[in-house]
Amino acid sequence: MNKVVGTNVTKIDAVKLARGEPVFTDDHRPPGMLYAKVLRSPHAHARILEVDATAALAVDGVVDVIWHRDTRPILHTRAGQSYPEPSPYDTVMMPEKARFIGDRVAVVAAETLIAAERALDLIEVKYEVLEAVTDMDEALRRTDLLIHETPDPRGISQAGRSNLAAHIDKQVGDVDAALKTCDLVVERTYFLPKVQASHIEPHVSMAWVDEDDRLIVRTSTQIPFHLRRMLARILEIPEARIRVIKPRVGGGFGDKQELVVEDLVSFLALRLRRPVRLEFTRHEELVAARLRHSQRIVMTTGVMKDGTIVANRMHVTADTGAYGSHALTVQGNTGQKVLPMYPAKNIHFIVDCAYTNNPISGAFRGYGAPQGCFALECHIDEVARELGMDRLELRKKNHIRLGDTDPLSAKLGEGKEGLVRVVHSTSLEECIVRGCEAIGWGDKRPPTQPYFKRGLGMALAMQGSGIAGVDWGGATVKLNDDGSVNLTVGATDIGQGSDTVLAQLCAEELGIPYDKVLILSSDTDFTPFDVGAYASSTTYVSGGAVVKAARRLREQLAGLLGTKWECDPGDLVFSEGSVTEPRGRSMTMQDVALFALYEAKIQPMATESHMSNESPPPFAAQFADVEVDTETGQVFVRKFVSAVDCGTVVHPRLAEGQVEGAVAQGLGYALWEEVLVDRAGKVLNPHFLDYKIATALDMPELVTFLVETSEPSGPYGAKAAGEVPIDGPAPAIVNAICDAVGVRCYRIPATPERVWRAMKEQESS
Amino acid sequence: MTIELILDGKRTALEILPGQNLLQALRGASRFSVKLGCETGDCGSCTVLLDGEPVNSCVVAAARAAGRSVTTLEGLLGDPLMQRLQRELVDKGAVQCGYCSPGMLISLYALLKQDEAPTDRDVREALSGNLCRCTGYVKPVEAALAVAATLGGAS
Amino acid sequence: MWDLKEYRYASSPEDAVALLRKGPGRGMFIAGGTDLLLFPPACDFVVDVSRAGIDRLAATPDGDLFLGAAATLHTLTTDPLVTGFAGGAVSHAAAHCGNRPVRSTATLGGNLCNALPSADMAPVLIALDATCYIADVDNQESIPLVDFFTGPRRTVLGDRLLVGVALPAEAGRRVCRSRKLTRSAEDISLVQVAVALGMEGGRLDQVRIALGAVAPVPLRAGLAETALTDLDYHSDCTAAVADAAEIAAGECDPISDHRASAEYRRDMVRVLTGRLIAECLDDLRRGGNGGAA
Ligand SMILES: Cc1cc2nc3c(=O)[nH]c(=O)nc-3n(C[C@H](O)[C@H](O)[C@H](O)COP(=O)(O)OP(=O)(O)OC[C@H]3O[C@@H](n4cnc5c(N)ncnc54)[C@H](O)[C@@H]3O)c2cc1C
Ligand code: FES
Ligand code: FES
Repeated sequence: MNKVVGTNVTKIDAVKLARGEPVFTDDHRPPGMLYAKVLRSPHAHARILEVDATAALAVDGVVDVIWHRDTRPILHTRAGQSYPEPSPYDTVMMPEKARFIGDRVAVVAAETLIAAERALDLIEVKYEVLEAVTDMDEALRRTDLLIHETPDPRGISQAGRSNLAAHIDKQVGDVDAALKTCDLVVERTYFLPKVQASHIEPHVSMAWVDEDDRLIVRTSTQIPFHLRRMLARILEIPEARIRVIKPRVGGGFGDKQELVVEDLVSFLALRLRRPVRLEFTRHEELVAARLRHSQRIVMTTGVMKDGTIVANRMHVTADTGAYGSHALTVQGNTGQKVLPMYPAKNIHFIVDCAYTNNPISGAFRGYGAPQGCFALECHIDEVARELGMDRLELRKKNHIRLGDTDPLSAKLGEGKEGLVRVVHSTSLEECIVRGCEAIGWGDKRPPTQPYFKRGLGMALAMQGSGIAGVDWGGATVKLNDDGSVNLTVGATDIGQGSDTVLAQLCAEELGIPYDKVLILSSDTDFTPFDVGAYASSTTYVSGGAVVKAARRLREQLAGLLGTKWECDPGDLVFSEGSVTEPRGRSMTMQDVALFALYEAKIQPMATESHMSNESPPPFAAQFADVEVDTETGQVFVRKFVSAVDCGTVVHPRLAEGQVEGAVAQGLGYALWEEVLVDRAGKVLNPHFLDYKIATALDMPELVTFLVETSEPSGPYGAKAAGEVPIDGPAPAIVNAICDAVGVRCYRIPATPERVWRAMKEQESS
Repeated sequence: MTIELILDGKRTALEILPGQNLLQALRGASRFSVKLGCETGDCGSCTVLLDGEPVNSCVVAAARAAGRSVTTLEGLLGDPLMQRLQRELVDKGAVQCGYCSPGMLISLYALLKQDEAPTDRDVREALSGNLCRCTGYVKPVEAALAVAATLGGAS
Repeated sequence: MWDLKEYRYASSPEDAVALLRKGPGRGMFIAGGTDLLLFPPACDFVVDVSRAGIDRLAATPDGDLFLGAAATLHTLTTDPLVTGFAGGAVSHAAAHCGNRPVRSTATLGGNLCNALPSADMAPVLIALDATCYIADVDNQESIPLVDFFTGPRRTVLGDRLLVGVALPAEAGRRVCRSRKLTRSAEDISLVQVAVALGMEGGRLDQVRIALGAVAPVPLRAGLAETALTDLDYHSDCTAAVADAAEIAAGECDPISDHRASAEYRRDMVRVLTGRLIAECLDDLRRGGNGGAA
């Protein structure tokens, strides 16, 4: 066989990126481009009564100022999800009521950035300030204070009646009854912070109207096709008039699985007939993009003396902020992606997700699972401690195995009934063995300072590969004269390397060198549909479409050559850039192409779609070795080991890179990252000075193993790798802190002060 | 106002605003390798060389560059050391989304110009102003040390 | 973007002050600009002092060290005059201020004149008895650095220029260490402590303990200093060190903010002060300056 899958081919866009070529959204500046800027609400809850832009419009270079009077209030959700979206329709382009500090009030378009900024200062707004509610429990209690008054047309949220943005209550077995039969019941409460994706390229979009009167939107997005559909709805123009182009994207991590700026530039471009660009500042990223939902999770677990987990309840209370993007599905994932790790007979999963006047939460890598995994994996350590059982043994005794059925997924789909999930591939057991070995489990190293203590911690994690029965993508493969192929996919490369992986799969299937595949991803005019880059779906789902399309193309060529050579097309071998028949005749792919195009006079070309009714879980076992300063509470992670099962590894280096990057983000979640919002709804740390993400100096030694399996339903046996490794770092580190100093941080990030405080409390009790 | 500077080796006149930062001025001059990530000096996607020293161009006033030399990645594309760094970054898989790559390359270039035998710690110090949200820094550090190894310095 | 009307370049200290006073409107000095461009204040024009000839480092014949206000933090981390003074304590503090590219332009003067309670260069310089040199159009004044700060973001300067700071030769022979407590590796100080110890015949002399980020201005922990003075450092000092650390914690006046609570900051003053004194004593016993780590 051709060997492309499994090799470290050069990432398809790496050279141009390393040359700093102008390939990102903002690196292109159409002539006559205007700069847009958003005036944001200083109030967490206020009616926008009147906007006076007279002074702003008088500023030299200011072209336009819009506010809600200039737009039509078309209800929609900005969550980038398949239609019909399982998120409430609670958003309009320009709201009449600001629902958080940072909500849109007015938008300026000007010839220069400075003119736009000057204008912002001069816009006068009359507000009717309303009482705000920023505490999720209070929000859930209050029915006299509604953040959304208009009922959700599709009934997902309770808008108009209460501040409940999403609710789930699903049970397998009977947890209450089962708990009564258990030898031990352990209940604990865990608290998860709001954190921000912090892709280094901010949200940025530009739009213009072309000579055919079509709207062209060039934007840094994960969801070009959903975006086209959403824009058509919001702008009330047909999809056919819209073209969305996704250039290179400087990271998304879920935060760009959302319409964040595109409607504004599109609206202004149509209104002004000029190109318009809008780029977020870092401040806007932290205030007005999307956050990971903060949650409080109560875990109640019943076990027998031998360690058998009999019943497990997870009760999640979450804060979606001002709008309900992804409110139902992120919270759903918190249980669905996590609880099946220990498939007890009785599982109960409850979610109450509140609207508040806080900044908006949404999608962020892991999509709810990091929260759930933190709670569950800390809780397993707590249960083990109470049982007097080894925490590794407790996990080994209960974790999901090959052939097991995930009890919850059938009950919980993306907002509708889901599909039964059976584990057809897993190397979790080997992951645990390899990880333990690498971290030195059971063999703690001595601390490096007299005032340090050292500890080890671990966590297990699982995720999905796409959304079963929902996510799908298309791919087209077309043969060119020289034997190269154009591969066009809707799948969205946002830096994770999907273009490379998909090109590898295509090359493998056609038996041609990797560099003969020319990939174009995500231009709604030219590429087939794809839901986009989210839910770890690209390799598994879109890859499936690529393999199918390449196979169809191969069949077309085999048909042609079978006739020419009078042999069975099924006997032809495609390999190393040639086609060979059983008697030894052979043609290079270039000659095949010339034959097809100039003699047979047909264009070999195929388009295929792929959807999977399964979402095979990738697994991870992650381990932390930490030192804790017993006087300052500072935590120093010395080593972090991840052993990951992502099925067949298509590109080892890219897969490792996914793991390493996810661990860096998970480390931040564990130790530093938190978007701090005060009681008034104001973000206290809206910049990297105070919102700390890992630098090169913060990273411990990382060890990564990819423990391969072959997933029967995946392309060449592949599953997903992008999300699962972000789940384990926080619980592994917090478990290690507990191992070191004997105190548990129920709330992350485990900042020095929190660890210090926990140690103080332990001392005094 | 107009300033004169040596931009990527060429005497250049730039029209700037008095309060503008060097980042915006350079992007205005089509140096698109200089990227905006935070405009608070934290992320390093805007790193350039000012008189040979790495600076975050978003926290340097454009006017300060008057009469000085500013070098961006565009100006180093033909430089052998830069080319080696680029190749190693690409080969080691250190380029994911690539948004941070130009800034990292400038920082690493400045480091290796001054120190041919950096340690792992030195490389991390040099990258302390370059945030990368994709890679976890493993592969960028590996790439830098690989290049350093070819410079004759052991680490 | 910073909405400035004019950017001026000063060619000398006097020129800088004159350009600032010329108006019209509100003007400010700009050195590296790493603070000003971060959160641009409202003003009409700036005067660039990076070419005013105040960036020099110099040692006088009797061993005093002069650090020009426009010297960059990177220069302070690498210049042999600075790395060789008081065991490199000033270089150490500079190296932990901001990130590498920021240090290329950020200046010592900017750090001090910015006058944040958390300004990282202040404690170590105070511990080394720094004197500030301040220029007016026609005269210069010098005052102890510890008196330079009058409140958060406020100094004695008014519309005068900081030319530089001088450290006495005697301070260069002290053992000196500083440490900053942060959340992640590169961060604003939650607490910053600098300790410098001189000795005289086997006893501690010229004890300095300076604290940052725990009061409206950087300050000296005078009572703790007194408690240690004359201590015989060859004896067992454990209890004395713990006492002094406790006293220092009582001398600060921290606030609670989103970075840390006052209670935590205060206790960290105790912890860091105790550790630094102990380490400095070890240095002394080993007969010299053990470095600033
Ligand atoms: C990413 C980043 C990280 C940082 N980290 C730290 C840190 O860890 N610790 C820390 O302490 N600081 C930190 N800072 C803040 C700042 O960079 C430093 O304080 C720096 O030393 C300021 O110097 P500057 O020359 O850039 O100041 P400028 O911005 O040029 O000036 C700052 C202030 O000082 C005044 N000024 C400057 N020079 C003079 C003079 N000679 N006479 C009179 N007034 C003058 C200016 O008018 C202005 O008010 C950081 C900044 C950034 C961007
Ligand atoms: S944009 Fe300059 S450091 Fe981030
Ligand atoms: S590769 Fe994406 S930020 Fe570094």
